[in-house]
Amino acid sequence: MGRNHEMKPSARKGSAAIALGLFAVAGAANAETIQIGIAGPMTGPVTQYGDMVKEGALTAIEMINAAGGVNGDQLEAVFFDDACEPKQAVAVANNIVSSDVRFVVGHVCSGSTIPAADIYDNEGIVMITPSATAPALTDDKPRSTIFRTIGRDDQQGPVAARYIVEHIKPQTVAVLHDKQSYGQGIATVVKRDLEAANIPVAVFEGINAGDSDYSAVITKLKSAGVDFVYYGGYHPEMGLLLRQARELGLEAGFMGPEGVANSELVAIAGPASEGMLMTLPADFSQNPANAEIVKAFQEKNRDAAGAFQLPAYAAVQIIAEGIAGAGTTDPVAVAEYIHANTFETPLGPVSYNEKGDLESFEFVVFRQNSDGSRVPAN
Amino acid sequence: MADFLPQFTQQLINGLSLGAIYALIAIGYTMVYGIIGMINFAHGEIYMIGAYVSLVTLTALGAQSGVPLPIVLGAALLVSVVVTAGYGFAVERFAYRPLRGGPRLVPLISAIGMSILLQNYVALGQGARDVSVPQLIAGGIDIQMGEGYSVVLPYSRLAIICVTVVLMVALTLFIQYSRMGRACRACAQDMGMSNLLGIDTNRVISFTFMLGAILAAVGGMLIGLSVGRLSPFIGFIAGLKAFTAAVLGGIGSIPGAMLGGIVLGLAETFAAGYMPSQYKDVVAFSLLVLVLLFWPTGLLGKSRLEKV
Repeated sequence: MGRNHEMKPSARKGSAAIALGLFAVAGAANAETIQIGIAGPMTGPVTQYGDMVKEGALTAIEMINAAGGVNGDQLEAVFFDDACEPKQAVAVANNIVSSDVRFVVGHVCSGSTIPAADIYDNEGIVMITPSATAPALTDDKPRSTIFRTIGRDDQQGPVAARYIVEHIKPQTVAVLHDKQSYGQGIATVVKRDLEAANIPVAVFEGINAGDSDYSAVITKLKSAGVDFVYYGGYHPEMGLLLRQARELGLEAGFMGPEGVANSELVAIAGPASEGMLMTLPADFSQNPANAEIVKAFQEKNRDAAGAFQLPAYAAVQIIAEGIAGAGTTDPVAVAEYIHANTFETPLGPVSYNEKGDLESFEFVVFRQNSDGSRVPAN
Repeated sequence: MADFLPQFTQQLINGLSLGAIYALIAIGYTMVYGIIGMINFAHGEIYMIGAYVSLVTLTALGAQSGVPLPIVLGAALLVSVVVTAGYGFAVERFAYRPLRGGPRLVPLISAIGMSILLQNYVALGQGARDVSVPQLIAGGIDIQMGEGYSVVLPYSRLAIICVTVVLMVALTLFIQYSRMGRACRACAQDMGMSNLLGIDTNRVISFTFMLGAILAAVGGMLIGLSVGRLSPFIGFIAGLKAFTAAVLGGIGSIPGAMLGGIVLGLAETFAAGYMPSQYKDVVAFSLLVLVLLFWPTGLLGKSRLEKV
């Protein structure tokens, strides 16, 4: 008889309740975290720049999560180490493509960002770099999901050249670089601008990054009577150049791009770092509109005045607002939203041209003091 | 040009100090090759370890700033030498000795693996970032030459050149006149026969590795003090250049390694000084190719007669 197999009404209600309960739990377990990849040097000579980007990005992620996340989803940071090496950056990019990460803040060094950007653009992953300044990143070919929250070397170089022309007025200038895309790129821009202003560049040469002895080049500069040197590259080499120049008696002023602005430089060069000039993004932490954000940095002992912290913060913020605005985590839709809108960030209002570059960006000349602090130079 | 001589002299000093470091490391390569016919690819890392150990010791001792500088340096040197010799011994004992007697390729691969292991071992222990060495030897001698052009001989470079010369002389005397030196030469000549004649070849081989490590450690400490920046990966490029120097001078010959180091250092420096400096490595390695074309066994290498 069928009667024994019928469920009692109370049992039916009970199992319905359990089923609904299970659905609710399953629904809650599906509340997604949006993973934000943070790619940059976590090891190697320029790890400090990776740290700066980490600080900025983490502060942004924490603040956004505390305010409820993006459409209710929390952000989660996932770190990737490319050691500022193009080959490793490609491996990282492939790694990211095959993972769940669809949004990347990074990479940090121009030389690694460019090959990685190719992969991200092909696979439709949004990448916003807070520090890669080489123009080739957006000039080489049209890339629709690649953005920057920093200026380009053809905006940075002229600032340096103008300062040299107006304030330094050197007799004999040398321009050196480290033969890599970032350093050689900006050195070439500075050389071009100096020559356009009728200041001849007596020596334009490349040195090997990673070498420890630059005395041969420094002796050459000394014999040529050079009194000012612009070096395009990163702080390990700049520190050695400063130190060895002082050792060998080369009396010249030195200047570099934002890749040399690093407290480690003072550790390497010691008193020789006094008076070194550099171009950096303007110090956005001084802007009173950013006071709350600066406070959030300080609470975690992070430096809001560093070159890349606030650009990294802005990168995360733009990604978050892009996801919220596009209403989806589909990177291509988010990229379109980012192209089409203006964002209020710690860097000021940010809007993009069709290449993914900022419409405008301010670089300022700073002077390094041997105690590690820096002041705007004028 | 009035300032040709001063610039030349300055570059000479630069080149000699660079070459001295290459020579110190190259001797390690050449001795090991001479005795067991194997290229110790991990030797560059031994040099790097010597540099790091001396840095750690200097930092530890530096805390007592009342101690006079020569004692601090001497102590750091001693510790570095002893510890690095220990590493040299251990590398031979655990990575190469068990593979002796097998195909030639196997210890070579083991050496490459050891090199990677040591790099990452130091990177894990000391951090993969660059570390800076306090500038303990500062200042230099200014020699006035020409109109207002001074040639500067920094004390740190002077130290490198002097220490290297002393060590080269000491090593040559040791190899030539001491019992162990004679045993080394005998093993290099004919390992099997030396064994039959009662020489403890295992001891000699271990000793050779340790001696090479000691020289590399001195080089590492000197470079750390002079350049002021260390990373776990400096051993790679230094090892490559030193190996080139050893081959240039004749692999297996100790005077050859010394000469090869100096020649390579001078070639690199003069290339960087008188040509656009991005080509200095091109010049250095082209020199290697040219030398090997005309002297296949290197500058001081012995041409081996194959007796049929």
